[in-house]
Amino acid sequence: MGMRTKLLLCGVVIATTIAYAVYLGASSSWQYYLQVDECLGQADLFRGKRLRLSGRVAAGSLKASPEHREANFVLEGNEHKLPVWYRGSIPDNLAEGRDVVVEGALAGDGHFQCETLITRCASKYAPKDASNAAEQAKESGTLE
Amino acid sequence: MRNIGELCLLMALVCSGYGAFTGIASRVWVHPWMKRAGFLCGIMAVACLSGAIVILGRALLIRDFDYEYVANYSSTLLSWQYALSALWVGQAGSLLLWAWLLSLVTLLFRILPTRDKLLRDAAFGILLANVLFLISILIFAADPFKPTLGTPKEGLGLSPLLQHPSMLIHPPVTFLAYALWSVPFALAMGGLIHKRLDPVTPNPGSTSMLPMAAATGNMSEPQGEPGWGGGGTATWTEIARPWAIAAWAVLGSGLLLGADWAYEVLGWGGYWGWDPVENGSFLPWLTGTALIHALMAWRHRQCLKKTAVALAILTCALCNFATFLTRSGIFSSVHAFSTSPIGWMFLGFMAVLLLGGLTLIVRRREALRPERVARNLLAREHLVLLSTILILAFALVILAGTLVNPLSPLVLGRSIVVGAALYTNVFIPVGLALLAVTAIVPLTRWGGPPLPRQRRVLWISLGTGCAVATAGFLLTQQHAIASGVTGLLTLVGFSTVAALILDARRREPDCLRRGILKALYHGRRQYAGYVIHLGLAFLAIGIAGSALGTRRSDVVMSRGEVISWAGRQIRLVSLEQHLLPDKAIAEAVLEVTQGRGTPAIVRPARHLHRLQNEWTTAVAIHSTWSGDFYTILNGRLGGGKVDLTLVENPMMRWIWLGGACAVLGAVIGIWPGETRRSAAGLLADEECDASALDLRGDRQRHAA
Repeated sequence: MGMRTKLLLCGVVIATTIAYAVYLGASSSWQYYLQVDECLGQADLFRGKRLRLSGRVAAGSLKASPEHREANFVLEGNEHKLPVWYRGSIPDNLAEGRDVVVEGALAGDGHFQCETLITRCASKYAPKDASNAAEQAKESGTLE
Repeated sequence: MRNIGELCLLMALVCSGYGAFTGIASRVWVHPWMKRAGFLCGIMAVACLSGAIVILGRALLIRDFDYEYVANYSSTLLSWQYALSALWVGQAGSLLLWAWLLSLVTLLFRILPTRDKLLRDAAFGILLANVLFLISILIFAADPFKPTLGTPKEGLGLSPLLQHPSMLIHPPVTFLAYALWSVPFALAMGGLIHKRLDPVTPNPGSTSMLPMAAATGNMSEPQGEPGWGGGGTATWTEIARPWAIAAWAVLGSGLLLGADWAYEVLGWGGYWGWDPVENGSFLPWLTGTALIHALMAWRHRQCLKKTAVALAILTCALCNFATFLTRSGIFSSVHAFSTSPIGWMFLGFMAVLLLGGLTLIVRRREALRPERVARNLLAREHLVLLSTILILAFALVILAGTLVNPLSPLVLGRSIVVGAALYTNVFIPVGLALLAVTAIVPLTRWGGPPLPRQRRVLWISLGTGCAVATAGFLLTQQHAIASGVTGLLTLVGFSTVAALILDARRREPDCLRRGILKALYHGRRQYAGYVIHLGLAFLAIGIAGSALGTRRSDVVMSRGEVISWAGRQIRLVSLEQHLLPDKAIAEAVLEVTQGRGTPAIVRPARHLHRLQNEWTTAVAIHSTWSGDFYTILNGRLGGGKVDLTLVENPMMRWIWLGGACAVLGAVIGIWPGETRRSAAGLLADEECDASALDLRGDRQRHAA
């Protein structure tokens, strides 16, 4: 067997192994990533599937258990609202009006059973534009 | 002051532009004095960028809220360290820092002694062009000296999550690495443009490669000092090598510092989440690893030339791609990124680099043909090729996984994300295979199969490794992967020591100790490489241990209560509160006793940041060599009760130890000293390993 054939064979073995690993990993972990509106617009299509949804915590809807282990809130988009039940450790900066990403599934009765809750933090590379920043500063009473 | 800052940027723009022009065009029609002016312009660009950095740094330190940048990222409540760190927290500041670091690297590269001045000047020009690109973004898209509309009395402050010692150094270290990766790229491009892909011949007059240089009166500058050719390798690979290793080590440290930040600040118990941002800076590290090995194959065997050149270009392009990922707004992940045109500029720049590089490689394909092809699969160059394929395949998977989210709507009409399972599934076989290659490499040689001696020891090492793996599996009845890793690690240690002893015996057949010292001294580069491999083996211990053996549980404890968990006695001593100028702290004081050891105190806490009115969790970790005991305070329940999450992460310390070991190896490997030897010396010192063994083998065969 020539050197070229041997190397080619090695390459094929590597490619096949990795392709199989990719297939296993992707098929077990992929999920739709949707806006609340997008999901509830076609709720039947997504029921029972693993989902990741992004939306905003509706004002006045957040109820957290005293030990910070459970939370219920309403996730709202522009048109639709979705009640979310979450069990797990609550992120520090979960608050009403904040953009969050929830992972879980739509239950039969229409609520969303959430397993992972991610709050979107203002990242280090996200300079708020000046007017927005000024407004925020005014709200928190730091701008006179 | 702000205007001076703007002026500094403008002057830096002009200077780097002129320097870039004279450098890149140096071979065509640049007069020597123009070149000298180009060098001075490079110095000026550094000076101007330093001025800009100092002005912005001063504004941050004195909290001059006239600057929009200062108002956005600083506040009077911050300590001076974090106030200064805001320099690299925002978009404009971090780009300014990158440009400054790149200009410093460029200048350092220009003033260090070199063996090929034409190549150096070309690379200097290309580096300055890169600086020019960053400065033009600063001037036209992300101005750090923009004024505020109406000066506020207080700034918005620094995100509490970024107030951590690791974050003080992680961003500058990463940017320094990006800057350093530009050097191998510039050298590769310079080599391609000027056809400097062969060894420089000692006598410049006799070569036909330099007609223009001779015509422009460059004869006074020796183009290649005698003896600098070094064993038939292309000059650019020799000059690029220390820069590539330095960049590799610095980027690796940056990644580990980022991992440490995630581990201690994000408070979920892990250190790596396959987030797009992490993936972005992990990609150039992977391709850079492959690049360093391809450079070695070129040096020793004049093969994998196209691979090496392509990897140098790809690595630099991927640094820009990482910047695109973080700043384009195409991701809506944990990090809510800004939508700005800057990311797309970096993508465009990356496309230019890749297209330009590819065109040049195609045009120079004749010069990039391998000169020698080994006929055995276990020749080192084939192991390098194999690991390059593995690394590139893994990088491709990471790239695809990262891009599934932004690209899926275009293809499927719906957005899709893939989870960490994809990456870990590929990481396990690739990591094990790479570890296996790493393990056998000390007992192989360039250009041919292992010698009979090496083969014998290789079999013994393989046997030992398999025995340890099997024993581990049978005794512990645990993970097959854990046993496999243990076996491979045994193999790494065994083969490295065996190779050192073989080498020592060859050098000093009578005295092993002297032989070892001689081998370490004369084969410094090679053994530095093995130290790095050892560091990666430690890293593998940490990664496998913490991934496979992690445990966590949620507990509610009251004051004075003692529980036993994961082989530890844990007592809640007290609950404390502290008030600081910028935050209020609530903490639980836990006493942890493991076995009969002395009790340790850990203080998991929650911080209320006043300015942002936001809570953050400060985890507390008790670290030993067997593992980390990681505690998270979730909340206080009243009545002296607290809710805690306890995590056991075995072998975590080995990750940081592995990183330190790899950096140490890199420093040993690029420490100057040996390079000022003649070509013959180089050959004798570093390449003869294989050839001398080879001779011996030939002699043995002859005798037989």
